[in-house]
Amino acid sequence: MSTPGRRPIVFLLWIVVILFILAQPAVLVASDQQQNISIDDFAVDSSLESHPATGHMEPEGEATLHEGAHGHADLGPILPLWSCVPFACMLLSIALFPLLAPEFWHHHFGKVSGFWAATMAVPFLFVYKGTAMYEIFHILLADYVPFIILLWSLYTVSGGILLKGSLRGTPLVNVAILTLGTLLASWMGTTGAAMLLIRPFLRANNYRKNRTFMVVFFIFLVANVGGSLTPLGDPPLFLGFLHGVSFFWTMHILPHMLTVSGLLLVVYFFLDRYHFHREAGRVPADEAEKTPLKLVGIHNFIFLGGIIGAVLISGMVDWGHVNVLGVHRGIQDWVRDGLLIAMGLFSMVTTSLEIREDNDFTWFPIIEVAYLFVGIFITMIPCLLILKAGAHGHLAFLINAVKAPVHYFWITGALSGFLDNAPTYLTFFNTALGSHYPGMAEAQAVPLLMTEKILYLEAISAGAVFFGACSYIGNAPNFMVRSIAEEAGTPMPSFFGYILKYTLVFLLPAFAVVTFIFFF
Amino acid sequence: MRFETLLFHTRFRELAFNSLKTVLQLKTAGLKKVVLAHVIPRDDVAFVPYGGTLKADIKRLREEARVTFDDWIQTIADSQLIFTQRIEIGAPNAKILEMAEAEKADMIVVGRKKRTLMEKVYVGTHVLDVLRRSTVPVLMSKYMVQYEWQGESLMRTNEQIWKRPLLASDWSDPSRRALDATLAMKPLVEKIGVTHVLGRRRTKNLEAAAVQRLEAESERRLRDYCQEIEAAGIQAEPHLAMGRTVEAILKMSRDYGATLIVMGRTGKDWFQEYWLGGVSHRVAELSELPVLLIP
Repeated sequence: MSTPGRRPIVFLLWIVVILFILAQPAVLVASDQQQNISIDDFAVDSSLESHPATGHMEPEGEATLHEGAHGHADLGPILPLWSCVPFACMLLSIALFPLLAPEFWHHHFGKVSGFWAATMAVPFLFVYKGTAMYEIFHILLADYVPFIILLWSLYTVSGGILLKGSLRGTPLVNVAILTLGTLLASWMGTTGAAMLLIRPFLRANNYRKNRTFMVVFFIFLVANVGGSLTPLGDPPLFLGFLHGVSFFWTMHILPHMLTVSGLLLVVYFFLDRYHFHREAGRVPADEAEKTPLKLVGIHNFIFLGGIIGAVLISGMVDWGHVNVLGVHRGIQDWVRDGLLIAMGLFSMVTTSLEIREDNDFTWFPIIEVAYLFVGIFITMIPCLLILKAGAHGHLAFLINAVKAPVHYFWITGALSGFLDNAPTYLTFFNTALGSHYPGMAEAQAVPLLMTEKILYLEAISAGAVFFGACSYIGNAPNFMVRSIAEEAGTPMPSFFGYILKYTLVFLLPAFAVVTFIFFF
Repeated sequence: MRFETLLFHTRFRELAFNSLKTVLQLKTAGLKKVVLAHVIPRDDVAFVPYGGTLKADIKRLREEARVTFDDWIQTIADSQLIFTQRIEIGAPNAKILEMAEAEKADMIVVGRKKRTLMEKVYVGTHVLDVLRRSTVPVLMSKYMVQYEWQGESLMRTNEQIWKRPLLASDWSDPSRRALDATLAMKPLVEKIGVTHVLGRRRTKNLEAAAVQRLEAESERRLRDYCQEIEAAGIQAEPHLAMGRTVEAILKMSRDYGATLIVMGRTGKDWFQEYWLGGVSHRVAELSELPVLLIP
């Protein structure tokens, strides 16, 4: 392992140590005592009594507020809409700063994220005290920490696998690479699959003149649509999994994914064939010599299997709960997070530095995600609470407007295309819960959503994942792929060029087809 | 061993040019070509969060590096030396090693990182990583250094670095090659100190007689090294020390008045090398002298 690699390890170890110290093992609660009280339940069931063992801080002077399942006040119905302003500013910062002041953003994006988080958290804590503190701890411990740990482990493990050798990019070979990437994305994450294949894909096509459309379709398929089948594929689905959606439920998206992927691959093939014949029509003789393909660092597939196993296990077992800072989380969830960290560490220790360097692996992209998402998660607390309040909250007009699956698909999607798709998914996931099962604890409502309102959850899941391809800011790997392609000499369209030339022309028609087939 | 091609990597820190000038004294020992290298760290210019690559910055950084290198070459104005430039973007360590291989460099020169406003001795982890992984000798240059010695804060400027090298040997193959490397600097060298430290761990549980036998054996080997050096026409001075290896080498280098420490990079234990640092790396990290590590 490289010495520079110590920093993220030390960072992770610190998180683990701090969380371990903060945990209160004495407050272990048997799972059978927890049946009615989900760890993720900060929903709006005022009929439930305060949980006796939570130990989190009660708000003072809030007698008029509703009480949630854990005895903390339910802020959803009373929070004003303007409390979502920091969230909007956070997302606007992500959208605009890179375009308007890229250098400032590059050096200070962490501070910007911290600033917006503070503008939400400080007044929130001042006004709602203990309840606000609970909400912040809850979103950090139950959502942010596992989310980052999963991304980190997938990123680390996939960054240790390198495809060497020479591929020559003919239309058929390119379609094969894109298909492989689409299939892998659900199992190693869109970020992992994109990082694994983008360089071989670019190398394979370095003799071609027009490569821009290839990278764009790579973003469509590998960095987005392909990740829709499991919670490992894309962060929004993992957040859904954390909130009780079973691991393999997302396989329901398979027909939708096959439709979009099939359409895009067919279009890609003809587009590629057109350009291929227009340019040279064949691989140049001096380019035809091939070095056999070889996967290096394949032992990382074991760790990838370990990650999948850990995620699966945590969804299948119930080992009781542990109270950390008043937030109840399943022991199996902590164990899963520990295993994910272990898989990442094993990968770092056992993979030669040269493989990572040949992969152009750096920690920057994951650090970027960690910094930005802490701001996103904290600032979105009011939005989530208001949406969860359903018709009782100040976003009742939106909740009332989003009714049919087609609405969920397009609205979740449209927002995911320009905002981040993980919080967007969570927002509409909660909207669906609030609309269909108002006042019901999340642990009870989610299984009902998965079975009774299956079309709604399909629409939210597909919308959040698919539409991430609509713009560079829709999903984290989109920009990483763009950067790598530009670095390798492939010109890429501008932010709006991407949308006008590719999203509107290729993606939206494919989504329209999906809408007519599945959501009408 | 000969040092004909040199890869001088710089991040354009203060005194980098002075450092280059001291290294160029190797011309007397056969240096012919100098590759001036600068790596723009990819993280500084690419992966701007949601912003793509900073193309204008890349262009500017490349141009700045080129202009500086041109200026250096012009200032040195040595027609007997061939200067080339390489300015690349990527992971610095990997690029340095890649460039050294491509240029068939006989030695890589890297600088240390300045820790504070004061010029304290500090070696960045990136430099240590190059030391660990290079298959060619690596010189860690330290032109001006502030350091603590016996409670005093001292300043040292290393200008005549090749004059009095101290060869720290553990009799391993890399140590053997370190001797060859030191001899290759012959025209520049006034005297070579050869030292061996009987480490505390080795002597801790030994009886006095066994320790004496070890001492005798070490002195014999030191004499052999010195004879070889003297046979090459250079003065040699043996020093046997006992105690903590790193501290003993540092103390010896000061007592002897060394200008450079030359060591073989033994790489005994993988875990220790990477996490705790081997003796050679600790010396490179802590010494106020330039350190030449031979793989």
